[in-house]
Amino acid sequence: MAQAFNNSSGISLKPFTQEDDVNLRESLKRCSAASYEAAAQFRKTGNIEHLPAIVLGIIERYVEPDLRAKLKDADDDLRVIEDLGIDSLTMMEIVILVEDVLQMSINNEELRYLRTLGDVKTFIECKVRGLPLPKPTKFIPIEQIMSVMPIQPPFLFLGEASVNAHGANAKYKISGQEFFLQGHFKDNPVLPASIMLEALGQLAVLFLLEGQIGEAGKVVDHRTIFFTSCEGVRCHRICKPGDVLILSIKPKRLKSPLATFEGQIRVGQEKAAIAEEITLTFGFAEEVAQPVQQTQSTPATAPAQAAVNA
Amino acid sequence: MRKVYITGVGFITSIGNDARSVSESLRELRHGMVQYPPFQKADIPVKVAAPIRDFQTDTTDAEDWVFPARYAIRREALRGMAPHGVYAYCAMQQAVEDAKLTEADWSNPDTGLYAASAGSPFLLTHHVERMRKMGVMRCAPLGVVAAISGTVNFNLVSQFKIKGASTGFSSACASSAHALGFAHDEIALGRQKRMFVVGAEDGNVESILPFAGMRALSLQSDPSIASRPFDAARDGFVGTGGASVLVLESEEEVQRRRAKVYCAVAGWGQASDGHNVAISHPEGTGLRMAIENAFKYSDITSEAVDYVNAHATSTPIGDISEAKALKAIFKNSPTRPAISSTKALTGHGLSLAGAMEAGFCALAIKEGFMPGSAHITKLEPACEGLNIIRATLPHRPNVVLSNSSGFGGANVCLVFRAV
Repeated sequence: MAQAFNNSSGISLKPFTQEDDVNLRESLKRCSAASYEAAAQFRKTGNIEHLPAIVLGIIERYVEPDLRAKLKDADDDLRVIEDLGIDSLTMMEIVILVEDVLQMSINNEELRYLRTLGDVKTFIECKVRGLPLPKPTKFIPIEQIMSVMPIQPPFLFLGEASVNAHGANAKYKISGQEFFLQGHFKDNPVLPASIMLEALGQLAVLFLLEGQIGEAGKVVDHRTIFFTSCEGVRCHRICKPGDVLILSIKPKRLKSPLATFEGQIRVGQEKAAIAEEITLTFGFAEEVAQPVQQTQSTPATAPAQAAVNA
Repeated sequence: MRKVYITGVGFITSIGNDARSVSESLRELRHGMVQYPPFQKADIPVKVAAPIRDFQTDTTDAEDWVFPARYAIRREALRGMAPHGVYAYCAMQQAVEDAKLTEADWSNPDTGLYAASAGSPFLLTHHVERMRKMGVMRCAPLGVVAAISGTVNFNLVSQFKIKGASTGFSSACASSAHALGFAHDEIALGRQKRMFVVGAEDGNVESILPFAGMRALSLQSDPSIASRPFDAARDGFVGTGGASVLVLESEEEVQRRRAKVYCAVAGWGQASDGHNVAISHPEGTGLRMAIENAFKYSDITSEAVDYVNAHATSTPIGDISEAKALKAIFKNSPTRPAISSTKALTGHGLSLAGAMEAGFCALAIKEGFMPGSAHITKLEPACEGLNIIRATLPHRPNVVLSNSSGFGGANVCLVFRAV
């Protein structure tokens, strides 16, 4: 008699019986009351707005008490293994409980790439809605950044970076050895604001090259990326040697040939700079395939120069 | 061969959860039996068991378990443990404190750990049931390591960051005696400087009651007489669980650390009955040979033995086999040595028994007493001619034997000597 029906979210729901409720309470007995409420609502209505509360509640239950504070104001970039101390076995425990609570099954292969809280939330939402799974967050070490970027040292301002469907993050430590610091300023090295904007622009370039920007099978040609404009740039903090810039960009509009991002730089928890809009032009590889091969002598740093002109 | 010493002990037993209370129970012959609540059902004829106090491990969810506050066990450690894993962890903690070891002392390639338990039938049945009901992919990720035989060494070796030799032993009720014997050899042969020896059992419904099938358990409902090895009216053993840990160290380590020493492990011997899968040889031939081997390898004679901690579990057949073996060994000295079975107090700890009773022997030698064989009203006639002591003797034994016999007719005799 358990007839499935569809609701507005497009999720097929099974009736939520008294027995289901008892089992749900038992499964979530070590989670917050809010997680149980969210799960019960989700099971009754299929409303996916409840998913983040359920997933966070389940993850919190498996995080050692002394690390739980991190979850309180966690953003989606919080890393499951490195920041929360959750190992692969604990991840399996989380998965089994999620499967049980959300009535779904998850296979091992799908789990391998869930690195951040954001990955986990997106993954579960896609699973529940039966949508294709997003490509997971890619962590890109400096060697790989250097191999894909048209911009190179000494003008590359990205350290380790991560890219997923929703944006990109990177770190850059101001070493004090940067050539321009000798003159900016005299006896007082301060990172130029234009370089902060350049760093965000470079991260946007990395996103275009390594992110999944939608259109199937198409690859952005690095030789086609150039700076066009920026809006609403504000600096809030002076950055000096030793500071670690935490860079993040998120795409706002992505439609060839323009890509617009919002960007932010933090140092620790302090806001250092924001850019409401940074717009780049770009083209896909096949669109420029022929002419580009003939112009291979174009300096690889061209896009960077364009970006710097800001 | 290098000399081997016991330098630390830890106990979670039915007669006490630390060395001091265990020692008091042994001297004063205080037993640990109760009418065990889970057995008090019409269809269970067995009524008595010897449970562990101050712990609650009777649910399949380890996060529900309660244990004394001084032992901090994190969730990520607890999830891979059986009830007896928790007991073993606590006994291990006591043993390293007792031996005054630091992590640097034990977490190195020269320190190993040998353990014995029968695994956890309690958790094993739970996890298999869950698999059948919920599907293969919903098996608890750590269900296997928590439940199978070997769970004690898996857990302790990883949690205490043991880097030397490690394995488990499986010879049923002789298991942890085997573990101690081979741990002795690791040090005697110079392969390890220090060994932990661990015996542990759940001691709950699932680990005890299956023995009712072979009619090995006492059906006596009075806790004060249910376990009475060498008594004419004995009718089977009383089950128990817990954990016992011993620290064995080489002479060099003892000197380097200026460690307190309980006694020396003088040597050991083993031999098998080659007779029956579950019944001991009626003449105790395997055990007799094990004792003879132990004498040979530890270079002592039967005349030197002051005290024997017998295996005697209070079963009708087993106790007689052991009595015959002892009579064959000590035939020339009917007044020596003193013999007792401490299982009258603790119940039978199965894989735990060997290590637990070795710990008792260490206490007896260090503190200078020989625990009596409790609960004997009328001595089993087959034991006539043996000096089975009914009361605790306030004398320090110099040479002590501890016997253990397991299924398949495996027999081990450990020899301890005062220093």
